[in-house]
Amino acid sequence: MTAPYADEVARAALRWVRGHRDDFALPADVTDPRTPVDRTLKPLGELAQLCLSIRRATPPDDERHHVAAELVDFAWRQTDDGALFLDLLRAEPFATYPLEIYAAFAEAGLRHPEFERLAGAVLRTRNWRATEQDPNRRLGILNTERRGGFPRTADPAEALERTWLGALPEPWSFERPSGYALTHTVFHLTNWGAAPHAVPDDLARYLGTWLPAWTDGCLEDQQWDLGCELLAVAASLPEPSDPTPETAGAARESDESVWARIAEAQDEQGGLPEVGGRPRDFTHCYHSTLVAAFAATLTTERTAPPPRTAPLATEPLDGART
Amino acid sequence: MSQSGLPPLTGAVRDLAHEVVSALRGGGHLAGSTALADDELGLAAVRVLGADVLLPATLAGYSLSPERVAAFRTATLAFPAAPGAAPVTAWSHWGMRRALRTLSGPDEDPALPDTGEPGASWLHSLPWQRFTHQLAVLGALALPGLPSEVATTAALRPVDLARGFVRAVRRRDWLQAAGAARWLALLDGVPDTLGLDTGLDFVLLMSDDDPRVALQAHAARHIRDERLLDEGLRA
Repeated sequence: MTAPYADEVARAALRWVRGHRDDFALPADVTDPRTPVDRTLKPLGELAQLCLSIRRATPPDDERHHVAAELVDFAWRQTDDGALFLDLLRAEPFATYPLEIYAAFAEAGLRHPEFERLAGAVLRTRNWRATEQDPNRRLGILNTERRGGFPRTADPAEALERTWLGALPEPWSFERPSGYALTHTVFHLTNWGAAPHAVPDDLARYLGTWLPAWTDGCLEDQQWDLGCELLAVAASLPEPSDPTPETAGAARESDESVWARIAEAQDEQGGLPEVGGRPRDFTHCYHSTLVAAFAATLTTERTAPPPRTAPLATEPLDGART
Repeated sequence: MSQSGLPPLTGAVRDLAHEVVSALRGGGHLAGSTALADDELGLAAVRVLGADVLLPATLAGYSLSPERVAAFRTATLAFPAAPGAAPVTAWSHWGMRRALRTLSGPDEDPALPDTGEPGASWLHSLPWQRFTHQLAVLGALALPGLPSEVATTAALRPVDLARGFVRAVRRRDWLQAAGAARWLALLDGVPDTLGLDTGLDFVLLMSDDDPRVALQAHAARHIRDERLLDEGLRA
């Protein structure tokens, strides 16, 4: 499949991210409890995760591969080669976010043994398994454990059953919050697009059927961030979606028109606002632009060789649902 | 029921739609007894609702008074589809002529000769969003036992129509959602995960009892109930 608009979106968005690299830098007081995590560690963690996915999805001679690899290394250096995670965990030993952010680095081979020893002890507590979370985030924790090389503390198939997506709800009930729950369920299930075959058949059919309707609505409302997350999900399914020949042709055509609309919403530097035409400052642009680069890269590379990463719980999930 | 505050035609259409729904739901006794307004506004309202004015007879098999059918014929004659009219206009008029023929028997009405189907090639290449919109406008053609090229085309794209229903609900376009649901009630191959039954209830209640929405939604339910009954009898 060729997707010139998606390719253009991916490259422009990644150029924007590289151009704004220093805006992802952590402040000196990052461990101060008064420093908002949403403005510091969250953007840096998302930079690491999505650039790792872009690096993994692209061949070594692709410019995107180089840029993404460089950005993963930048993010790791920002954490003082992982020492920051140990500081964070010592300050908040039962918080899950340090390990959730660390997992992307661990998967990239960037590790901090002392942090992992402390995290391992925390993971062995009953408290860890009892932490109350949204079901899709619980699925994310289980993927985090796997990526960090820790024993898994719960069954992912059971966690999946409790998510919005796992219930296969009426597609007309889709709203923004359920949309984000859905996209993150798929990201955790497929390890951020690396393992499309980890999506159970019934979920894949469901998503393949309804994603076009949801994506269309998001783009019509100029919800670029959620729209791009849905496009990333569409590129993370085992098979192209449409079951009927009559609609397959139209779907391919509309895929490209979808990317053309996103290309049009990008500014000259490649930045994409989260919603509408909001001010294109870093805070309102960085996430949607990162997701656009990620989704568009998965789309252009979906015909690439099979992923190198083991899926999350392929056996129990495949066994549990067909 | 009067529709105060609405443009006169809109109000007349809503009144007429309300009457059709009452007839459908009330066992048909209203359908035969209420005369159609045969002034200009009344006839225009009939033209807007099209063949659905006769729905108590064509869908539910209730009898209609000759006066009512005659007024419907007057409206059909008064508002023909002009040459070169939009396909939905031509098809809507075709639906009215076909409904009259269904009720009047096989003899040709010299004033309304059978000119055949208008052609549905415009539908084939439409993306699912526009496809659903056009079919929803032509909801009156979604009837069991009413073959047409439009129905044949709809039967080829149930998934597209289901996506269009989802889109319409999300846009709070209840009339389009109900029109699409009526086709979905008729078709095979609709994904089970759509949840058409709860979707119909949702559309009906969210539309604040808009009679035009109610007309499509009740027609959809009627079609669906009959299908389920047929399937039950076959099983």
